[in-house]
Amino acid sequence: MAKKKSKEDYYLASQWTLMARKLKKHKLARVSFLILAILYIAALFADFLAPYGLEEFDGLYKNTAPTNIYSVYEGENIGPYVLKITKSINKTDFTVTIGEDLSEYYKIKFFVHGTPYKILGFIPCDLHLFGVGEGSKGGTGAKIFLFGADSLGRDIFSRVLLGARISLTIPFASAIISFFLGILIGSISGYFGGVTDIIIQRIIEVIGAVPQIPLWMALSAAIPPGISTIKMYFYMTLILSFINWTGMARVVRGKFLSLKNEDYVMAARISGVSTWKIIWKHLVPGFMSYLIVSMTLGIPGSIVGETSMSYLGLGIKSPATSWGVLLQEASSVTDIASHPHKLIPIIFVTITVLAYNFLGDGLRDAADPYK
Amino acid sequence: MEKDNIIEVKDLHVDIKMLEGLLTPVRGVNFEIKKGETLGLVGESGCGKSITCKAILGINEKKCVPHGEIMFRTTDDEEIDLLSLNPRGKEIRDIRGKQISMIFQEPMVAFSPMYTIGNQINECTLLHITKDKKKAKEITLEVMRKVGIANVEKRYKQYPHEFSGGMLQRALIAMALVCYPKLLIADEPTTALDVTIQAQILELMKELQKEFNMAILFITHDLGVVANMCDRVAVMYLGRIVETGDAKTIYANPQHPYTRGLMGSVHKIGGRKDERLFSIEGTVPLAMNLPKACGFYDRCDARIEGLCDKAEPELVEIEPGHKIACFNCQNPACIAHREAAMEQIKEDEAKAAAEAEENAKGGKKRGKR
Amino acid sequence: MEALKNFFRKDLVQYIIKRILMFIPTLLLISILVFFVIQLPPGDYVSAHISALASEGELVDADYAASMRADYGLDLPVWQQYIKWVKDIIWTPTDTPYYRLYHSHHNWKFSFAYGRDVWSVINDRLGITIGVTAIIMLFQYLVSLPIAVYASTHQYSVGDYISSIIGFIGTAIPNFILAIVLMYLSYKWTGSANVGLFSQEMLLNGVHLYNFGEFLKRMIIPIIVIGTSGTCGIIRSVRAQMLDEVARQYVLTARAKGVSEGKIVMKYCFRAAMNPTVSGLGGVLSSLFSGSTVTAMVLNMQIQGPVLYKALQSQDMYLAGGIVMVQAILVVVGILLSDIALAFLDPRIRYSGGGR
Repeated sequence: MAKKKSKEDYYLASQWTLMARKLKKHKLARVSFLILAILYIAALFADFLAPYGLEEFDGLYKNTAPTNIYSVYEGENIGPYVLKITKSINKTDFTVTIGEDLSEYYKIKFFVHGTPYKILGFIPCDLHLFGVGEGSKGGTGAKIFLFGADSLGRDIFSRVLLGARISLTIPFASAIISFFLGILIGSISGYFGGVTDIIIQRIIEVIGAVPQIPLWMALSAAIPPGISTIKMYFYMTLILSFINWTGMARVVRGKFLSLKNEDYVMAARISGVSTWKIIWKHLVPGFMSYLIVSMTLGIPGSIVGETSMSYLGLGIKSPATSWGVLLQEASSVTDIASHPHKLIPIIFVTITVLAYNFLGDGLRDAADPYK
Repeated sequence: MEKDNIIEVKDLHVDIKMLEGLLTPVRGVNFEIKKGETLGLVGESGCGKSITCKAILGINEKKCVPHGEIMFRTTDDEEIDLLSLNPRGKEIRDIRGKQISMIFQEPMVAFSPMYTIGNQINECTLLHITKDKKKAKEITLEVMRKVGIANVEKRYKQYPHEFSGGMLQRALIAMALVCYPKLLIADEPTTALDVTIQAQILELMKELQKEFNMAILFITHDLGVVANMCDRVAVMYLGRIVETGDAKTIYANPQHPYTRGLMGSVHKIGGRKDERLFSIEGTVPLAMNLPKACGFYDRCDARIEGLCDKAEPELVEIEPGHKIACFNCQNPACIAHREAAMEQIKEDEAKAAAEAEENAKGGKKRGKR
Repeated sequence: MEALKNFFRKDLVQYIIKRILMFIPTLLLISILVFFVIQLPPGDYVSAHISALASEGELVDADYAASMRADYGLDLPVWQQYIKWVKDIIWTPTDTPYYRLYHSHHNWKFSFAYGRDVWSVINDRLGITIGVTAIIMLFQYLVSLPIAVYASTHQYSVGDYISSIIGFIGTAIPNFILAIVLMYLSYKWTGSANVGLFSQEMLLNGVHLYNFGEFLKRMIIPIIVIGTSGTCGIIRSVRAQMLDEVARQYVLTARAKGVSEGKIVMKYCFRAAMNPTVSGLGGVLSSLFSGSTVTAMVLNMQIQGPVLYKALQSQDMYLAGGIVMVQAILVVVGILLSDIALAFLDPRIRYSGGGR
């Protein structure tokens, strides 16, 4: 009896249940989804998770490598702690030696009070997940820089977390806007055909023909300088959506052209269903899964694009930060040679892009009815 | 193999290994075709007809593993087991298209849209008959004329999308016949065409068969076409042949319950208007992890409990040329077969009971677990 | 031979003419888009010119500015300005100040940063940009096509997985980082930073056969950096197409005729799989221009990317617009050529009038 019931379930399950079930089996997609979820949640709680603020710096720690974490001090296991660094300049050849001050230790504390920030922009708070307080002998000035520091002495770990907010959300937001814009225009173009279609097609071709990055660069350069971060964010998202909606519109139009002559559309029309309803209730759900896959697979391009733009200084500018801005630190070969930790943000970009790619692939396989 | 036969399929099995188990679309197929005769292979969709005939040419997918023997007569004195040949090797490629040809159900997708019809038919000529381009084209044009394509010079240069369905099927037949094969396998060649074109194509095939003296393996689920075209019939169900014989005999006097059901389902002209159409109850089960029983058991109206659900009937000759695989048939040969099967079942059950006792005793000896 | 004869079939010629005609409105629309972008930054050509002059110590009074504006047609409504801009580019007659100064019939206006007319700046690097792009494109297809065919015919094999992985990594890492990392590695291994496309010697004497080898050596990193992401895209797409094609009925027909596996793959599957690849040529070209722009800056390549960047930083909009326009035109020409190639490849397209 039980076996029969599950077979029935399978036949009656909606398209989405089927997709979800198939997706869960795709290991790589599951892992990717998990990773993306972790990244986005971390970005959400970035202020809390990061030990330091965006602009906090310490000149002593300029360009230092990631802080070492120890737990045994002079033979005793006292729990995780860090040491303050020391800098000495050799007076003859001016080389700088960086060492650690072994005289006192600074314990890593959790749920500490640190740099204040505002939750949701207006609720003041200063709680951080972890941090370093006073030293064992009352000294101050030790820092815990998990990913090391940049050329101004700012904590890269905190900046990666805070930068994630921009790097992860702009591509996603613009993908959503492109999604709706693309479906709207694509369906009009595909369903009505004729002159409307030809005009819209030319427009799509034009936007597609102009190379993306030069177009983006030109549009970014047109953004008036010195505007607020929010406006900047808004402009970047708009520009990205403007460049990317064409892909979605093309796909939608293609599907419409092939489906609009199907019998079920004719049946709906004969029954007197309005054009709009035909588009939204009958045609679009048929390839919605395909669209979602398209959207997911388009996000990596946006991520890489935004990172590149910000790296060039044409995207997000200070005081806001994105991973691209962080990578400006890694701009010369000699710099990377001596401070390879500055390349760490690239790991995050790569992981995010790979995760979206695998998730998109998994979605595509799950949506394929012929597998 | 008998001298008259052009091909003999012996105990053909095709297995496909899947995640859920072993799929056995072909579970023991036996038939033979004489030179110049037409054998109709009849059965419902999904009974394994296509896989069987593709196995003859070795063009099934890699995951379909065939077992058994397919003996094919290459010359008057030589025969060869087609299943022993490497599916990608040169030997079987020499036979394909040249000695055994195949035509398919949907002519619209059987040709590549990228090349002209002439190019694709000529490919066969160039491959098997002659490498001389001019001569090859002559031969190709000739066979195109034979199948009734008008304006062959023009048509030769046209693409598939410029042909109609019926014309494409003629082209497909031309491609199959250009090398004068000994055996033509036709996999539902008229199913995708409308009735008038169907009649033309069947006429054409009959003419060509006479002219070329070739055997035809005609696969179909349309009993009307079978009556028209075939000398002999093999009825297939769930991967096995259940009855073979002359077309006339089978139609007049079907013996197997399935064949009887099939004949009964054909609506006859002249029958009562308000009569309900007859159909065999139930549907074809999935050919996976099948128990040792007659495949037709669930749907048979003549089943014998205790026998038909415990053993599978083999093909038994009840009259010369007429074979049937059924335990219920009253023919002496069948009865003998039935009794042998019942003996076997009794033996098996006794053995199984004895084993079970052994295990139980053994468990007791070992004491508590 | 038969293929060439096919080329002059009536349906193909008709198709080509149709596509060339459609080329023109596309160009017009591009010019509108570019013009719009040029107009975006605050201020106009004249005010930028004035501030450029001012930074050199020359002051301009309001009347002069007004007359300049009238001269350049900047007091006209925007759409008329656009028409003037397009007219000037297509044909500037001989009796205009521009022609007298530059002896060119195509007025792309002036670049402030470079102090000369836009076209000469573009022209400087146009040849090398096209050359580099062509080489990278060739490399992409030469590498990706065999890999894709192999991966599709040997699905789930080790080679298939490896190519997938390389593909992913190629798309995931932004060009400029890959460029920096590779530069660092080459610095470590060879001891010299192979930056720039031309050595000192080549800058002096030009590129000839004997120093072409040196040029190619310096092209290695750019090819890898700019080429990989495109290569991966092509591999994925061709592989998917091939997998589709291998399952088609006409493959079965060909096999039943006795055609060998290898011939089936190349004659039937590959040609059909090329269909979307050929129509994607335009997109590949566009992304090459994109990718090379950023990478060129890191690798110090003498193509147009860095020029565009500098122009945008200084809001040298006519130069920026000009470069974008030229690249867009090249892409559209590429699309046109690929459409024609597609019609040649796939007879169905000519019949249906194209799916664009």
